[in-house]
Amino acid sequence: MKLKTFFSWPVILVILFCVISQTAIASGIDVNQLWKNTGFHNLELGNLLMILFGILLIFLAVRFEYKPLILIPMGVGVIIGNIPFAHEAAFPLGIYKEGSVMNYLYQGVLKGIYPSLIFLGIGAMTDFSSLISNPKLMLLGAAAQVGIFVTFLGALVFGFPLQESGAIALIGGADGNTAIFLSSQLANGFRTLPDGTIVQNLIGPIAIAAYIYMALVPVIQPPIMKLLTTKKERRIRMKPPRSVSRFEKIAFSLVGLLLTAFIAPAALPLLGMFFFGNILKESGVTKQLAGTASTILIDIVAILIGVTVGASTQADVFLKPQSILIFFLGFIAFMVATAGGIIFAKVMNIFLKKENLINPLIGSAGVAAVPDSARTSQIVGLKEDPTNHLLGHAMAPNIAGVIGSAITAGLLLGFIL
Amino acid sequence: MNLFFITFDFSKIDNNAWIITVVGYTVVFLLLASMVILFNQWHRIKDHLAKNQRKKKSGTEIQEKADKNTSGDENAAICTALYLYFTELHDEEKYVMTVKKVSKTYSPWSSKIYGVQNSLKNG
Repeated sequence: MKLKTFFSWPVILVILFCVISQTAIASGIDVNQLWKNTGFHNLELGNLLMILFGILLIFLAVRFEYKPLILIPMGVGVIIGNIPFAHEAAFPLGIYKEGSVMNYLYQGVLKGIYPSLIFLGIGAMTDFSSLISNPKLMLLGAAAQVGIFVTFLGALVFGFPLQESGAIALIGGADGNTAIFLSSQLANGFRTLPDGTIVQNLIGPIAIAAYIYMALVPVIQPPIMKLLTTKKERRIRMKPPRSVSRFEKIAFSLVGLLLTAFIAPAALPLLGMFFFGNILKESGVTKQLAGTASTILIDIVAILIGVTVGASTQADVFLKPQSILIFFLGFIAFMVATAGGIIFAKVMNIFLKKENLINPLIGSAGVAAVPDSARTSQIVGLKEDPTNHLLGHAMAPNIAGVIGSAITAGLLLGFIL
Repeated sequence: MNLFFITFDFSKIDNNAWIITVVGYTVVFLLLASMVILFNQWHRIKDHLAKNQRKKKSGTEIQEKADKNTSGDENAAICTALYLYFTELHDEEKYVMTVKKVSKTYSPWSSKIYGVQNSLKNG
């Protein structure tokens, strides 16, 4: 055997390992303890599966560009959260271990800080023009909330307690942040149920289900849209939106803030920040603040929320039959919400004049996946008529969906807590 | 009903759950519907206020158009026209600037004849 072949890299590694371990033994270091502290010693099948799941999320984001801004931090978070370690380690490591770095970052999720800040950023980048110019489209956003309530009842039937069902239901709103906010309040692993048991920590499964379905909007929605509409309906051309003054936009934000906050005060952390962000943008005199909220701030928070929610999916918390049920319920919720918006648009058309007809394809944008569901309406519409652009119209129910799901979250909090 | 590990129990949907569902959905719907009504009326109120203001200013009734708001298409056409107008103007301006002939009166101070590089002749 040639010397070069003998000294291949695996052999060199083994030799190095032997030398280091012998040196350690000679120096009086407990090699056994060292080995016990490594991830290899503590590795379980669940950790391995979750690490593969994290890699899958990263793959989906990189290969198909499905929500990369959230799936990449989340995928890396899943990997970080599932690196096995000795639980009796001298210093706190895990995300659920009080005092660890990850635990400090996770407080932003548990206390509902990150979703509120993300809503601030979303508000600062939202334009209400399409909504104000055609206010009736707001009803499509309201109609799509049917997905939330159907999921709520479905979760109860599957045996989830009331609080956990409320948290799971929000997947139907197709808004990951609202789902995280509600699950951090209702299914956080701390709250006590009426029978004395503690609620399960479902933040991870709910958030991942919500974001995966949001990412899969272009795959899930088109078949339902085609199934529920005729070719003629898909070709409906809508009246172009009128121009909207700055005063009207500011007034909309103020009225929206007051109305929603007075009726569902529990939604204030979300809707208060949402309308605040929008007032920063529309006032025209705080461009710097609006710019920061809609770019740097939202990016920082997206990184933190993604990585911490991902890391919270430790195998022992995530790999349970309940998680499969949550994914199943989320899928049903998404389909019901999409169908709800489309069917309601068709019902509205019965009462509308010919020149004011609504293209039912924009009804599917009533789910709060901004702007993916609006973009899907545009793509499906263009396939029927390449000159019929629906994106501007679809943004109205899309934003109404965000407002609607946040109000629903506030109402559920008020009812259940 | 029990299917694999999944248990279906429809009796879990008690009165409380129905109340949450029906009241919750109705409130969300009514809330957004009230915003629809408000902003549908808002347009009319705004027009009415503007009309009154103009009446006060001029003292005579002004003929109002049915819809003062320009549509998106009209806005696009106006923007395109303005863009074309301004870009053409810019070209024109540039053209004039570059070919414009500047006449100068003669001055010995800038003449090369009196430049410092001229070598002195001996003799």
